[in-house]
Amino acid sequence: MENVKKVFVIGLDSAPPELLFDKLLDKLPNIKKLLEKSMYGPMKSCIPAITIPAWMVMATGKTPGELGLYGFRHRKKGTYNDIWIAHSLMVKEKAVWDYLGEVGKKSILVGVPPSYPPKPIKGHLVSCFITPDASVDYTYPKNLKHEIESVVGEYIFDVVFRKDNRDEVKEILWEMTEKRFEVIRYLIQEKEWDYFQFVEIGLDRVHHVFWKYFDENHHLYPGDNNPYKNVIPDYYKLLDKEIRKTLELLDLDETAVIIVSDHGIKAMKGAFAINQWLIEEGLLKIKNPEILKSGKQLRFEDLDIDWNKTIAWAWGGYYARIFLNVEGREPNGIIKMEDYHKVREEVAELIKSIRGPNGEKWDTKVFYPEDIYPMTKGDKPDMMVYLDNLSWRSAGTLGYESPYLLENDTGPDDAVHSEYGVFSIYLPGMDESKQITSTIYDFAPTVLKLFGIEKNLRGRSIL
Amino acid sequence: MPDERKYTTVSIPIQLYEKIKKRIEGTGFTSVSDYVTYVLREVLASLEEEEKEEVFSEEEEEKVKERLRALGYLD
Repeated sequence: MENVKKVFVIGLDSAPPELLFDKLLDKLPNIKKLLEKSMYGPMKSCIPAITIPAWMVMATGKTPGELGLYGFRHRKKGTYNDIWIAHSLMVKEKAVWDYLGEVGKKSILVGVPPSYPPKPIKGHLVSCFITPDASVDYTYPKNLKHEIESVVGEYIFDVVFRKDNRDEVKEILWEMTEKRFEVIRYLIQEKEWDYFQFVEIGLDRVHHVFWKYFDENHHLYPGDNNPYKNVIPDYYKLLDKEIRKTLELLDLDETAVIIVSDHGIKAMKGAFAINQWLIEEGLLKIKNPEILKSGKQLRFEDLDIDWNKTIAWAWGGYYARIFLNVEGREPNGIIKMEDYHKVREEVAELIKSIRGPNGEKWDTKVFYPEDIYPMTKGDKPDMMVYLDNLSWRSAGTLGYESPYLLENDTGPDDAVHSEYGVFSIYLPGMDESKQITSTIYDFAPTVLKLFGIEKNLRGRSIL
Repeated sequence: MPDERKYTTVSIPIQLYEKIKKRIEGTGFTSVSDYVTYVLREVLASLEEEEKEEVFSEEEEEKVKERLRALGYLD
């Protein structure tokens, strides 16, 4: 460890241990070679196991509650459904690059979410997929943007999901990733750095859009001869090739190399229309019930909610957020504060009793934010729910014959998140591999230790 | 153990201190420090609320929302 002078972090959004370390590894000669000299294994993500907040949980060593980030969107205080979108300025805790900056170490960050708008760091930064588009300022310092444009032209932050045109999605995914790696290699060579971290969001997107074509156990798998069967493995091969070209630029006698993901991925069994279920249970009351029979997919905004009689409503996503209508807190709250815990417990029990479409038992988990975090800043939900341990996603839309949907309600998506991502670390001088397990909270202490820094954080250094 | 103390001292004008002391008589606040802490937290929280608004223009926010909705994060 004494000979580590630099740390290079390869962030692969949603890489699961089952594919990266096992099923696809033989197709990935360069990653395999690196892992043969690394400590590696599954890494337990945070709750919720979602891109935002997970990457910042990793970088700061703080829980989502301490960060006040519970997902991509949050409910504005004093409203029912006005939202704000997570962005970089909401992260107030120090990340590893801030601690490193304090001792004069320089960092380069590319695409670590949320990093738009770009915040000053000691070093250089390119913002993440939350950036509106390439016309805005997306770098720190500001003029780095011109250098990037001279290297790759228009930089690509993300792909838009379209069900009807998967070929186009695929094409943009490849272009986006190739451009990102070109920028990464440019920065490696042209800028000074001690710590370098990038996050490739493309892997998450390729998983979500193409999972059912790849996973023969998926309930919608179209058969071995489907045209998209190899898109996911091919994308992994693209990453492997780009990683090889990138590692060639590093001095592996003095650079530690980490591969890490924010969460894993697995087959989606279906989507559960949670607000429709809340209506059926009498917890959510609407004044226009006839609209449910119109045969159209409805968004929550289409409902005329009778807030004076409503106990609970919910948001969709890979995990469900449940909100209670509390007197004095919500505009037309009806649950008295003294009854809050009792009502929440009752609703939680009902949710936990939900069974699958064929009466099968679900492994549903209900979390209360104040139970799982030492502090709950910001706009937290009353409950965070993993329906059947995330195998069923939560759909906030409604108007269906049954609340059980075989397909996702909002787009081409046949995969859900899983709790275990990956972590591997190569150190100069290592000549064999070692299996380890870690949690997302161990990342920051481990990186800081490589630079001789110790902070009082929740996790522990694995070194 | 971390060396961070839990409290520190800041100075405010005596006149202001007296004014606050009077104001909190008979309320739930047991000291001027409690009240000042409460008010400052509120002010900071509302500033943070404002910051949330300013990051994306309306058009930009729509762009981001459209992408996030397609990704299944918004309904």
